[in-house]
Amino acid sequence: MSTTGSIKVTIGDILFDNPVFLASGPAGYGEEYDGFIDLQRLGGIVTKTVTYEPKAGNPGTRLQETPGGLLNSVGLENVGASVFFGEKLPRLLDRGIRPIVSLAAEDWDGYRKLLDAAADTGMIDIVELNLSCPNVERGGMAVGTDPRMISRYVGHAKDILSGAAIIAKLTPNVQDIGRLALAAEEAGASAITAINTIVGMDIDIRVKKPVFKRKRAGLSGPAIFPVALEAVWRIVNTVDIPVIGVGGIDSVDDALKFFMAGAAAVQVGTAIFYDSHLPEKIVTELEKNGIPASINTEGN
Amino acid sequence: MAGIEKGLFRAEVAGNEKLSSACRLIRFARPEGFPDAKPGHFVAVRVNSSPVPLLRRPYSIMDLTETELVLLVKVVGPGSRLLGEAEVGDWMDIAGPLGGTVFPSPDGEDAVFVGGGTGLAPMIFAARTWKREKDSANTYLIHGAATSEELLGTFCEEDFTKVFRSTMDGSEGFNGDAVSFLQSLLKDGAISASKLYSCGPAGMVKSLELKVSTRFDSHYTSLEAVMACGVGACRGCTVPSREEEGRKLMAVCSDGTVFDASQIAWEDWE
Ligand SMILES: Cc1cc2nc3c(=O)[nH]c(=O)nc-3n(C[C@H](O)[C@H](O)[C@H](O)COP(=O)(O)OP(=O)(O)OC[C@H]3O[C@@H](n4cnc5c(N)ncnc54)[C@H](O)[C@@H]3O)c2cc1C
Ligand SMILES: Cc1cc2nc3c(=O)[nH]c(=O)nc-3n(C[C@H](O)[C@H](O)[C@H](O)COP(=O)(O)O)c2cc1C
Ligand code: FES
Repeated sequence: MSTTGSIKVTIGDILFDNPVFLASGPAGYGEEYDGFIDLQRLGGIVTKTVTYEPKAGNPGTRLQETPGGLLNSVGLENVGASVFFGEKLPRLLDRGIRPIVSLAAEDWDGYRKLLDAAADTGMIDIVELNLSCPNVERGGMAVGTDPRMISRYVGHAKDILSGAAIIAKLTPNVQDIGRLALAAEEAGASAITAINTIVGMDIDIRVKKPVFKRKRAGLSGPAIFPVALEAVWRIVNTVDIPVIGVGGIDSVDDALKFFMAGAAAVQVGTAIFYDSHLPEKIVTELEKNGIPASINTEGN
Repeated sequence: MAGIEKGLFRAEVAGNEKLSSACRLIRFARPEGFPDAKPGHFVAVRVNSSPVPLLRRPYSIMDLTETELVLLVKVVGPGSRLLGEAEVGDWMDIAGPLGGTVFPSPDGEDAVFVGGGTGLAPMIFAARTWKREKDSANTYLIHGAATSEELLGTFCEEDFTKVFRSTMDGSEGFNGDAVSFLQSLLKDGAISASKLYSCGPAGMVKSLELKVSTRFDSHYTSLEAVMACGVGACRGCTVPSREEEGRKLMAVCSDGTVFDASQIAWEDWE
């Protein structure tokens, strides 16, 4: 990563106006927040994770608030590669919004088809591989917790999307997230995004059943910020590629903490649901006072 | 999408009236630039600025005039409690108007409205709007509640041609649920109408659709679901719906909140 003059950042070869993005999932396909968020003010948005085939997502309850957090079991509902690449992505590009395309697959075959479809568009210069969704039966975390699988997935993306920057998004639901980051770096990833949601659950005491059909769900929001901060700190100490901090940003100060932990950029997810202007406020702060220097020199 | 411009607004509380032990009528001064919402639209209110409770709370618009935005709020948990405690002069963040669909007007025909609990709110907005636009002939409200106190007295009496009330405990009006009451009113010929509109607990709406909707030309309902974004991005508020080629999940916030009730796959509803 380099900071060129102002608050621009580069990830891979891509230059972003600033290091503030919307996180995949909460960001949707961008267009939903018209009237709420000025997306052109942001460095970019990470689009909702897309799979090759459209996915309906999980049945039953999908959201449950916790103190300072949100459990979700959306299950990667998405429009599929053909609608995404054919309609949603061109619309974002037409509007001058900088997309980072989030990709995931349930198995290797689906992954290959998805990457071929992405390559065919000729529009994609940066992707975030969602190697970490806790809300699907297959793919997701099963891939994202195994360093060999991470390296295989990242390596294949490098081969097929030649020249594109590949970002690996990691799960915190592992013993050593640093090891996963290292595997991604060695396979050629241009950056690491950390963290995805943390596995949790809840029980409805009236009906004596788990709230979610799949029992487990992913926890996001302010409650997970300390976990995300520690993960970013640890990854920054393990790899040389840029790290993008995400998880629980609830204020401008939280974003500054990610930069101090050594993050090159940040993503805001859950907070846009209740404080939609927060990403723009973070940009304004960075424009005013610059990006805080990393205080993380541990082990380097 | 119904194509309404939405936005984020700061709104000043202009009134907070206690209608029952749990229900409040919260009136906001209409924020400058707040678009002309239609019956079925809702707002999402940020009730505080701390992370507990975290999310905005969705509320149907009960009325929108040149000067006021009115919500009917039942206190059920921490978020609605904070909203219910709002004092005149307080400012709150309001996102809206939200919702991708609205109640289609009755086109001059007679209409029955069934409001369960605070499902009353969008029914009032619809009746008032159509009265102002002279769009309906007679309007009948069936208001069901658990107890007499929750029927809110004669509140909204003048908004409808006639109001029928039912309570689950029989403390006032018909003894039983709103759907059984409507069934008996139809059977006795006490009312007749071609359009049916509803809003309330899923169980009530489902039973309306399955038991009485065939007596009407159409049944439109506004549904509720736990929401995070309120704009169709997070896919957290889905309901199972029928589609030509099978079942699909629709987002209550952006594909609704108003649905043709025959579109919903009620057998899959939790
Ligand atoms: C489109 C829409 C319109 C609504 N209109 C009205 C109205 O006019 N008047 C009124 O009193 N209430 C209305 N509700 C319900 C109202 O949003 C909830 O009562 C309120 O969110 C409860 O928050 P709480 O913190 O007090 O309760 P809690 O139960 O502690 O809330 C916990 C979580 O569940 C959600 N939640 C709880 N109950 C409901 C519910 N019935 N529907 C959706 N989410 C819920 C909350 O938003 C919150 O995220 C509406 C809901 C929706 C979706
Ligand atoms: C409703 C919801 C849906 C999400 N969907 C995705 C997704 O499709 N792909 C992904 O990589 N992360 C997804 N996430 C995770 C977020 O991108 C982010 O990593 C996580 O929520 C932590 O950040 P936050 O606390 O700022 O939300 C989702 C999160 C939420 C709350
Ligand atoms: S609340 Fe996010 S899609 Fe409806």
